Amino acid sequence: MPREIAQLLLNGLMAGTILAVPAIGFTAIYAVLRFPNFAIAAHLTIGAFAGWLANVSLGLPAALAVGVAFVVAGLAGVLNDELILKPLRPAGALTTAIAAVALTLVLENVVRFVFGNDLRGYDLPIRRDWQAAGLRIAPQQVHNFVIAVVAMAAVFLFLAFTRTGKAMRAVADNPMLASVKGIDADRVARLTNFVAMGLAGVGGVLVGLDTSIDPLTGFRVILSVFAAAVVGGLGSIPGAVVGALTIGVGEELSLLVLAPAYRTVVGFAAILVVLTLRPRGILGERAY
Amino acid sequence: MAQRLSRRAFLEVGVTSLAVAAVPTRVRAQAGAIRLGTLTPLTGSGGNYGPSMLKAMQWVAGEINAAGGVLGRKLELVSEDDQTNPEAGVRAARKLIDLDKVAAIMGTWASAVTTAVAPLCWESKTFLTTVSGSDTITLLPHQGYLVRTQPNTQLQGRKFAEFMVAQGSKRVGILAVQAPFALPTQKIVGEELRKHGAELVAAVVYDKDKTTFRSEIDQVLRARPDMLYLNGYTPDVTIVLKDLYKAGYTGAKIAQAYAVNQKLLNALPPEVTEGTFTIAPSPAIESAAYKRLAQALGNDDLDPYSCQTHDHISLVALAIAHAKGESTGTAIRDHVRKISQGSGAHVESAVEGLKRLAQGKEINFDGASGPCDFNEIGDILDTKFRYEQAEKGKFKLLKIA
Amino acid sequence: MENYLVAMAVFAGLYALLALGLNVVWGMTGMINLGLVGFFGLGAYASALLTRAHRAPIVLGLAAAALVTAAAGAAMALTTARLRGDYLAIITLGFSEVVRLVASNELWLTNGTDGISGIPGPWRGRVTPQTFNVVYLAIVALAVLAVFALCQRIRSSPYGRVLRAIRDDDQVAAVAGKRVIVFKVQAFAVSAAILGLAGALWGHYTSFIAPDVFTPLVTIYVVLALTAGGTGNNVGAVLGAALVIFLMEATRFATGWVGMLKPVQVAALREALIGGALLVVLRVRPRGLLPERLARS
Repeated sequence: MPREIAQLLLNGLMAGTILAVPAIGFTAIYAVLRFPNFAIAAHLTIGAFAGWLANVSLGLPAALAVGVAFVVAGLAGVLNDELILKPLRPAGALTTAIAAVALTLVLENVVRFVFGNDLRGYDLPIRRDWQAAGLRIAPQQVHNFVIAVVAMAAVFLFLAFTRTGKAMRAVADNPMLASVKGIDADRVARLTNFVAMGLAGVGGVLVGLDTSIDPLTGFRVILSVFAAAVVGGLGSIPGAVVGALTIGVGEELSLLVLAPAYRTVVGFAAILVVLTLRPRGILGERAY
Repeated sequence: MAQRLSRRAFLEVGVTSLAVAAVPTRVRAQAGAIRLGTLTPLTGSGGNYGPSMLKAMQWVAGEINAAGGVLGRKLELVSEDDQTNPEAGVRAARKLIDLDKVAAIMGTWASAVTTAVAPLCWESKTFLTTVSGSDTITLLPHQGYLVRTQPNTQLQGRKFAEFMVAQGSKRVGILAVQAPFALPTQKIVGEELRKHGAELVAAVVYDKDKTTFRSEIDQVLRARPDMLYLNGYTPDVTIVLKDLYKAGYTGAKIAQAYAVNQKLLNALPPEVTEGTFTIAPSPAIESAAYKRLAQALGNDDLDPYSCQTHDHISLVALAIAHAKGESTGTAIRDHVRKISQGSGAHVESAVEGLKRLAQGKEINFDGASGPCDFNEIGDILDTKFRYEQAEKGKFKLLKIA
Repeated sequence: MENYLVAMAVFAGLYALLALGLNVVWGMTGMINLGLVGFFGLGAYASALLTRAHRAPIVLGLAAAALVTAAAGAAMALTTARLRGDYLAIITLGFSEVVRLVASNELWLTNGTDGISGIPGPWRGRVTPQTFNVVYLAIVALAVLAVFALCQRIRSSPYGRVLRAIRDDDQVAAVAGKRVIVFKVQAFAVSAAILGLAGALWGHYTSFIAPDVFTPLVTIYVVLALTAGGTGNNVGAVLGAALVIFLMEATRFATGWVGMLKPVQVAALREALIGGALLVVLRVRPRGLLPERLARS
């Protein structure tokens, strides 16, 4: 029994890391632009397909494919924000959030138009799990964990120590004051979108490595990504990682008492419990 | 010059398409064309299957039309997307029935969409052909306006169980997607295994939208099965196969042929899929219908569902021909069993069948998915099954029985 | 043709009910409900189970649907009372997933993913399908009118002013001596009852419900309908619902004119057009086609 619980914990952590990377992107946009950008789902899919093209069509190795996914999804994010979401921001956060949902519907179908619905897989070997002491862990998931931690640390350090990062924080905390101080809010928004959607794209490749990709890849995980960001505290970068791991572990541990088909219910129950105890999420809403 | 030319060409195309657009569909349709509806999932979670199902039907329609149509009348396909959602499916069906006045709707995939659309069909006397597997569908009060080519869970469960036992399996585990067939299949497989001295040792139903099924797999593997039945659809079975490989599972695996199809084999490394058995309803011999369809669609698109929709449109066209060209749902209902079964000459393609019917002969159509003989509630009677095994990323035919 | 238009008018009416219901919590009270499809489903199941298994009259089924969903809505508002808007979004979204999962898994009650078929409809089977369609349109039109009148009344009453005050700033409303939580719970209950009624009507119209009907796609369409029509404005809600149905249906014909494309590309184009059209509406009229207009008070 203890071994079983340990394995569930491990599985939960591994399931969580896959959500963490896009959750960081989601929460970063929330921190700076103050709206839940559901279009992260579409950019996750775009990244997954960009990585697929790089890997399968151009024959690039995984690391480069991840890089391509980051850049393509990031650029798409900046473009989509400039053309579609930015002009809507004065209408309020919720209007922008709803526009982001409509945007996702459009982008998902652009991907479908170009690639069709067929499932695609990366041209990468799948490795067997490492086994020790009756427990097993997937090498790929360990990589994912490293990528999530590195992404978190990079974004975190960037916000905490660089000039631009400080500007971003300033905009997040008080846009009015920031503009008085001469910080270019547009530039900050563009940079935020590039990094956040780029991370969503990386998340797309990571999801694709474990599953297979099609136009619905992003849509399938967006609920969990959203939940992870909320549990951790919307707008908190480390919170996104903590939230993702909480959701992952919570869902797996529920298997001890519930049928697997009910896993999602447990995820949401966890959210309700966390938010009732800590209405602003586990780590609160400070970005850094 | 080149630019001017292209602009002119562009204008011409534009004007023509506008002109075409302005003419109401009814006039554009050839006088007396027979209009048939397709309702397949092109978006949503069934989107992996719908496009090739539709392609198969379009190919048959093209073949029939090239050979002169049904008693001289062309087939006109009107295609709608059910979005894998009953609400959208009902709206699309209303359009096909009320506006296009189709005689038949073909190719519904999700059981929920089929069950939602079926009442509209029988109320308005439109024929419905489906690939949905849920047992309850043929039990609806459909007055004969429905047939399905997918074997029901009873028949499939029995075949799977028999095959697994024949492979020497004693302990079977099932990983099934949350769908109407999950629990009925589990029940019948369990009963059949017991009859043959084997045992269903574990069964887990999972939620298809997860990115990993590690814990579900652990739960099943704890019962130490020597055979796993993966009863899901392509997207989730892809993940299950990967996770099984990672978990170091080396026992036997078996899946539905519509889940583990050539597209899945292409998308995964061969070592992950190696040895997976698949079962699909199939024609008794190496059928000409199957081979010709394979040639037309390319091997990748030839999953069991596409074979079935190939048969749907063939059956509908032949039934209309047998009814002396009466293109109504009721005529199709009354004549479909007169061309699909019985003592008539055995034919394997719609074109060949139409030729024989024109000569005043009786026919018995056997399609790409099997003999297509239906009982009174619209279920297929006992059919042959095709057993295949994945080997280095390709399917190897084991037997047809 | 007529039959098709009547059927689409029925669907537009059902979407209008959903949009009106959403407008009570979101437009008037400022609480987001991304789980409206959950209440829609709950109402559909309540009425279907009562009228099919227990042979209750349809009117009773509709009333029960409204009551059950109102109770669920009130409970939702109570549990989430302390939470801010964005968090309410995820909780409501989660609620709708829970409804879908329970409906999928509790076979003894809901028959699982097979769904419930053969739900009775008024005079179904005793009149021609065409007549049934027209009768049902009349029923739905009546329901829309009644709910619309109710919403208009709420909106122009002193009660509606309190709701708007809560929407604009619940701290101020609280300071003004209003028991914010009571108002929020009531608004959520009324809204949920409308959504539940719409669900029950959907079930009696199509005669079949299953968990697959109640997917987030419906929520997305309704939220887009209200936003496009004009959040806070009841006329806008009805207009937006009609617009969404019109767009979804009109795109079938529009995409029929594009040759050379594969069917899956046509389907993709169609869904993209729906999303795109709503982005255009939002761009041109960010507050919807009929923005909320308020008399100065």
